[in-house]
Amino acid sequence: MSEKQRNIFDTVEKYYDDYGLRARELENEGKKIIGYVCSFVPLEIITASGCIPFRMRGSVHEPITKGDTLLETIVCPYYRSCFDLSVKGKYDFLSGLVIPHSCDSMVRSFSVWSYSLPYSYFHFVNVPTVCVESSFEFFNAELNTFRKSLEKLGGKKITDADLAQAIKLHNENRDKVRALYEFRKADPPIISGTELSKVLIVGSSLPIHDANTLFDQVLAEIGRREKSPLKKGPRIFVDGACLDNIELIKLVEEIGGNVVADALCNGTRDYFPKTDVGGDPIDALAHRYLSKINCPKTYRENNSGTFEGDIVSRFGDIGHYAQEFKVDGAILYVYKYCDPFGFEVPAREAYYQSIHIPLLHLEDVYSAGTIGQLRTRLQAFLEMIG
Amino acid sequence: MVEEQKEAKAKKRVTATKAAASIGPMVKEFITGTLRAREEGKQKLAYTFIVCHHEEILRAMDVIPVWTENFAGICGAKRDAERFLQRAESLGLSRSLCTYALCGIGFDQWREELGQMPPDAPWGGQVRPDFMISSGQILCDPRSKWYQASQQFMPDVPIYNMDLPYPLFQRDRDHREVWGYYHKYIVKQLRGLVDFLEEQTKKKMDYDRLRELVSLSDRTWNLIDETYKLRRAVPCPMGTGDAMNTMVPIAFMMATQRAYDFFVDLKKELEEKVAKGEGEVQEEKYRLLWGGGLPAWYALNDFNYFNSKGASFPAETTYYMVEPLYEMDIPDTKDPIEHLAWRWLGYWTFWYDKAKKRPGSEPDVEWLINLIEEYKIDGVVMHEAFSCRTWHVGLIWQLHQLAKIYKPIPILMTGKDGKKEKVYRELPSLILESDIIDITSYSEVDTRNKIDAFIETLESIRTNKAA
Repeated sequence: MSEKQRNIFDTVEKYYDDYGLRARELENEGKKIIGYVCSFVPLEIITASGCIPFRMRGSVHEPITKGDTLLETIVCPYYRSCFDLSVKGKYDFLSGLVIPHSCDSMVRSFSVWSYSLPYSYFHFVNVPTVCVESSFEFFNAELNTFRKSLEKLGGKKITDADLAQAIKLHNENRDKVRALYEFRKADPPIISGTELSKVLIVGSSLPIHDANTLFDQVLAEIGRREKSPLKKGPRIFVDGACLDNIELIKLVEEIGGNVVADALCNGTRDYFPKTDVGGDPIDALAHRYLSKINCPKTYRENNSGTFEGDIVSRFGDIGHYAQEFKVDGAILYVYKYCDPFGFEVPAREAYYQSIHIPLLHLEDVYSAGTIGQLRTRLQAFLEMIG
Repeated sequence: MVEEQKEAKAKKRVTATKAAASIGPMVKEFITGTLRAREEGKQKLAYTFIVCHHEEILRAMDVIPVWTENFAGICGAKRDAERFLQRAESLGLSRSLCTYALCGIGFDQWREELGQMPPDAPWGGQVRPDFMISSGQILCDPRSKWYQASQQFMPDVPIYNMDLPYPLFQRDRDHREVWGYYHKYIVKQLRGLVDFLEEQTKKKMDYDRLRELVSLSDRTWNLIDETYKLRRAVPCPMGTGDAMNTMVPIAFMMATQRAYDFFVDLKKELEEKVAKGEGEVQEEKYRLLWGGGLPAWYALNDFNYFNSKGASFPAETTYYMVEPLYEMDIPDTKDPIEHLAWRWLGYWTFWYDKAKKRPGSEPDVEWLINLIEEYKIDGVVMHEAFSCRTWHVGLIWQLHQLAKIYKPIPILMTGKDGKKEKVYRELPSLILESDIIDITSYSEVDTRNKIDAFIETLESIRTNKAA
């Protein structure tokens, strides 16, 4: 490993281990940092306001304690962990928090967050559940409400030109992630799943300019890499919600699998769809966040009249990635108490079967304590497909 | 396939009112009525959910609603949900998901596999629908996912998924600033439902009839509010146990004359009881608020257990799905669809203005405070159903907020004559834990031990106050 290569991955490691380090520095410089959970928050509007979007992260290593005195344990464990860290003060550098309508855990706990945390700004973005003409019209109005609330917070008007510039920056960010994924196509991949996960997780804690610079540096270093850090092994796809730690992917790679692609909220689900440019920026954002982000929360009508047609329409992107990244097997990793993903398990299983990709379905509780059990099941799965 | 065993039959709960006792046969008639309608083939049957403000539209189009949450609740109350839950689990669905939905999906899969009702299906079973009307926005994720999951086993049955948002409470915002575009959207979603039903039934909407049904519902809403407020009386003439029966006309029969007449009769019955001083509990010692959570349908007897300790439940937030129309600040309109959309927004934002006036409050907390004061409440009971995030997230925090107001120490308050006086406002609370229909999560012994301890706390507070 060259000096430069070590340096950029050292930086990634530093920001991964001390998550929020850069945001704290910026807060000390007087910047407003706006926390968010879930991929449905339109980051471009936050960036255009002059504030810095910061993706909240939980911790599988930290037991949930204080959070459980305020929020029910039937809430999605990932979300509970984010809340727990917040009430313990980990994110006290935030000026505000934005929660979108993504699931019941988020909607029903909005008051709990807004009354339990010391931030001065809270906003709820109401994302429609369906994808029809009237829902785009509604979402457009809702995004303008969000825009106005940030104008009030930031004390400046957010112009269409500001939005267009922010859209450009975030699209560039997505292009860079796409380019990083290209390195996963080699066998074995030039970048490991563990490395890429760390880079993406870190990226979502940085201002968009910093994230773009970091991704450029990582791309340059990986481009110079001549040898994969991995050995040849089964090429694994990971499907699920937000995976904001490396534990599962690292485990797969430790026991001989190579994670090469995903349908995760901090993976292709969020990074691959770009915002259209050239037209009305709010229309373009409404279209991206409602139509292009393929989350089970958004209901898409079955126009085929058959189950087989429905699953192709709902999960076709998975099949496309499986082909593009030459996937041998998939892991469907679902958090306990996650209704949007949980209800899709039979249909997703049927889809993987239809595209002849062996699947391992895991229900987990967002805790490092389950790694031992996962190891046993993953080993058996890799042996089966290997 | 999983072993399909029925649970032991539950003991029948004793009701305080004749009206509540009349509900069982009424519900059975819904279910058998849907089976009859399927055989006759004259009317279309739609799977759908409660609290969507769309009953008027369905009834005006002569569509028979098949309330899938109701059927799951019946399976739970009859302690016959487990075999359907296990079916759903065998399909890959986690037991941590909404058990109403799991029960429904398990039942649908079994019925579709057999081509007929599963053996000994409760009250004849849940009929195969002609179409399904779901609704997810804000209220409940499973409502948007349940029918989509069931459609795997009946792909020929179309779904109309209706978005019904309302502006979430944000202290620094007047909801009226945004509700114009919310209203516009809801109207379009409801008109989309009319279009869908017209296509499915090959009939045109009769808007005069719709207007009449909306008017009937509005009158029923006001009547329910007047009727339930009679429960402020001491002793309380009807408790939450009975209200878990009388929710049936509210949730499943709205926009029918029968629902209106039911509350005319119930109101008369309660007025007579109040006049005679007849209470749910004759020696009423404690007045409790059912402050949140859907009930454990297989354990409604627990309400009788509370009663046996001298505790009555004059009020509940669960299934109190109406607010007086005359107190709602919503615009007038002659268009029935527009009115339904305003009523929806008026209902969900009903407590917003009041909540803003009290520091630390929010709408759900404000509603609880209002009930505590109006109904002279001594303690709050909640039920945490593990499988439902929709109604059960935020309850702990609501109790925290209440505890800031109702402190366990006497406080000085200014009385009516302007003099300061010591007031004891301690308000103990109890959270019961189990599920709506998954009986495996329930322990009668543990639950009753918790109730006994809670009653002891109430008694100790009562004794201290008296001293």
